[in-house]
Amino acid sequence: MARTKTILMLAAPLAAGAAIAAARSRAARKPDESGRRHVVTVFKPLSELESQQLPGSLREIADGVEITLRAAPAGRGTEIAVRIPEGSSTTPGEVRRALRETRSLIEVGDVLLPAGPPTTKPTLTNRPLQKATQHGREGGLL
Amino acid sequence: MKALQWQGVNKLAVGTVPDPELRNPGDIIVKVSRTVTCGSDLHLLGGYIPFMEKGDVLGHEFLGEVVEVGPDVRNHRVGDRVVVSSFIACGNCWYCDQKLFSLCDNGNTNPAITETLWGHAPGGCFGYSHAMGGNAGSHAEYIRVPFADVGAFTVPDGVSDDRALFASDSASTGWMGADLGGVKPGDVVAVWGAGAVGQMAARAAVLLGAERVIVIDRLANRLSQAEGLGTETINYETTDVAAELRERSGGRGPDVCIEAVGMEAHSPGAHFGYDQIKQQLRLQTDRPIAVREAIHACRKGGSVFVLGVYAGFVDKFPLGAMMNKGLTVRGAQMHGQRYIPMLLERMAKGELVTEHLATHVMPLDQAPEGYRMFKEKEDDCVRAVFIP
Repeated sequence: MARTKTILMLAAPLAAGAAIAAARSRAARKPDESGRRHVVTVFKPLSELESQQLPGSLREIADGVEITLRAAPAGRGTEIAVRIPEGSSTTPGEVRRALRETRSLIEVGDVLLPAGPPTTKPTLTNRPLQKATQHGREGGLL
Repeated sequence: MKALQWQGVNKLAVGTVPDPELRNPGDIIVKVSRTVTCGSDLHLLGGYIPFMEKGDVLGHEFLGEVVEVGPDVRNHRVGDRVVVSSFIACGNCWYCDQKLFSLCDNGNTNPAITETLWGHAPGGCFGYSHAMGGNAGSHAEYIRVPFADVGAFTVPDGVSDDRALFASDSASTGWMGADLGGVKPGDVVAVWGAGAVGQMAARAAVLLGAERVIVIDRLANRLSQAEGLGTETINYETTDVAAELRERSGGRGPDVCIEAVGMEAHSPGAHFGYDQIKQQLRLQTDRPIAVREAIHACRKGGSVFVLGVYAGFVDKFPLGAMMNKGLTVRGAQMHGQRYIPMLLERMAKGELVTEHLATHVMPLDQAPEGYRMFKEKEDDCVRAVFIP
């Protein structure tokens, strides 16, 4: 039992780190994706979005990226696509965060903030996970 | 304030943490009056979901009194007695519009982990790791509830705290399994697991008109509770489950199979040892024993609904049976916002009774001991309820 516990204590933070490392490794192996567009679907008709400026952080990075809007099928709203042109200083992480925040602003009028104040403290075993969650809206596959 | 904190694998302690604050205009702060253990917490406790930080507050099934409201909150005021859906949903995205609330696009502040693991991120959940948003849980004196107009529901005067508490998660999860599993009048329904969620799924199947509802477990007290809800039972340690289900369903197999066990399933067979070793070595993340059995037992063209929590990958998944028998296999985290108002009505009418699930009620100070009893199933513990 004690051995199992020890294994689990070691395995838990390692597994979290491994998941992140695996994702990075997959990303590193991928072919050149620099031209790939980042896309979200926002549950708001295209007609309503075209009549207003895109809100929030997507507007903040608009000068450094190409943004296209098109109607999503079956009444699902509007697809917002962002491509980072060659030479732009905008990062994929900034685009992901901007798209997620913009979707929330359009749909909800607000962006959900993490719970607080925090109840955790920085520790050696917390560190890999805290690193991964510090920029929670910048990572992922979007 | 006092709160039950995860301190490491199989280590819990009641500590002092900062009081929660309103962070968004749609938030409320709830003074927790009842908060309850869930079998899925044991996966966090045991380190099977490796996205916990030392100090995280556990708990996602709760009820309490509103003590503070954000400026955009319209449906609640200070003093309201509310039960809260364990999953956090905005109410405005396409998924919420489809009533698939646990899939909300805007309820998880940290979508990167689950998006990487699963392809897309579900919504957030209280007290259920940083993969689900890192929201502080309900095993505390106070809790912040985001999107309160969507996820918090005023409890009718005629429904006690002890009953309404389980609308927060167990009853809504169970009802979802029967509803989205497609239970119809005349069906034979089998439910794996006689914990709170399994019992609530079975009761939902009864109320939806199933002809026979058969609950499978190994613990006599839980099977006895299930029988009290109008169901039949099978003890899997003393009975060949597949043969018994065939016999009780005219050789067809159950029309709907609901799995309410999850990633730490037990079994008297050799495959338990096989799954346990693979899981401990992280060669698979989950022990899918009940899912395998449900798929094998289900009638041709039937439906299997996975309510138990799973994290990642499993071995020996019976894909051949699923495909060749034409099964519909579906699963979900709970869409509580879809069911809680209806469940509270049924609770008020006495159709849905849950108090018996709270076999152990204790102060929050005793929560580590409550979890130990719950995990060990000591003293016939079905659920331990904490009063902060």
